[in-house]
Amino acid sequence: MQIRMIKEALGASVIESEDRLDTVVEHIYASDLMSDVLAFGKPNSILLTGLATQQAVISTYMAEFKGVVFIRGKRPKDGSLKFAKDNHLILLSTELDMFEACVRIDAFSKGRLLKPGTGVVEEKPAMLLNHELFINGSDFANAGMVSTEVKSILKKIGFDPKLIRRVAISTYEGEMNVVMHAIRARVTLAVTPKVIEVVIDDEGKGIPDVEQAMQEGYTTATEEMRAMGFGSGMGLPNIKRNSDELVIKSAIGKGTILQMKFFI
Amino acid sequence: MTTQDLIDKIGLKPLSKFEHRNVDGVFISDMISDVMAGAKSGNLWLTVQTHKSIVPAANLVDVAAIVITSGKEVPQETIALASKYNIGILCTGLPTFELVGKLYASGLSPNNPLK
Repeated sequence: MQIRMIKEALGASVIESEDRLDTVVEHIYASDLMSDVLAFGKPNSILLTGLATQQAVISTYMAEFKGVVFIRGKRPKDGSLKFAKDNHLILLSTELDMFEACVRIDAFSKGRLLKPGTGVVEEKPAMLLNHELFINGSDFANAGMVSTEVKSILKKIGFDPKLIRRVAISTYEGEMNVVMHAIRARVTLAVTPKVIEVVIDDEGKGIPDVEQAMQEGYTTATEEMRAMGFGSGMGLPNIKRNSDELVIKSAIGKGTILQMKFFI
Repeated sequence: MTTQDLIDKIGLKPLSKFEHRNVDGVFISDMISDVMAGAKSGNLWLTVQTHKSIVPAANLVDVAAIVITSGKEVPQETIALASKYNIGILCTGLPTFELVGKLYASGLSPNNPLK
């Protein structure tokens, strides 16, 4: 689960640091006893605690956690803040108590947003992760790095390797199309309990005839691209084969949106 | 067969740092698009392409290792990237055809499309 989602579930404020909220944690650990954190905490967790001392922050770091959520509106002092900043820990603060904080994170991961203080439940699409990445057109040196990042994120969450492979291959084909033909693109990776969705939204020349582009072997790649081993006209058909749902929207002179869904 | 066996028995030279793993089938292509579409997880990938983008491709398709044949020199940045992602790059001076003969003789079966 992405820390941004935990922040939303708890209505928490960010102490440190706004630009790392896309970090993904694999476990939540609730405790005020730092010896327990060190003994039983697993790497890549986030700690929920009412202990706002420097020890809490240091233990979190030693146990290889990604960050801390301080409950009941507690905030650590300056020394802890500096330590967290230096060691790239993420710190959040929520007014909720431990019980309610745990319940809300659990509910959020199942698609229910509990309204603070009212007990009102609002149904929402359960979003475990929503991550944005960017691809630059013609950047052959970094071609494939966005798909590699997508694979790493999904691997950390612990999905079935076969499912991850399908997402990774489809994303890579989409990424290569952007590198070969478009100016730039925004990639959104969204994960809910039922589906992984990858959207590649590019700014570029667009596809004049989507149906033709879906034919195996149809390509508009240059000789140079083909010499590198790309552009044999297998990209879109390969995405079609690897994804459970594929929607392509394209506007000439504007760009193409590739929407791929993979059911979990 | 494992990637360790390829080094010990076939004489391939490891270039990147990686954890050894099982090899299941062989896929030969210099077209990355073909690899994306046709290689199976655990395959050994034989190619003469050496540029950096073979690494993300190998990682995404989850091949057991990449073998650069025909004595092609592999750029340092390709090796460094492979080590970063725990992808094995092995090399040989043998042309692809001869290496295939040795692999086949050592009992590696082709990539069975029915599997």
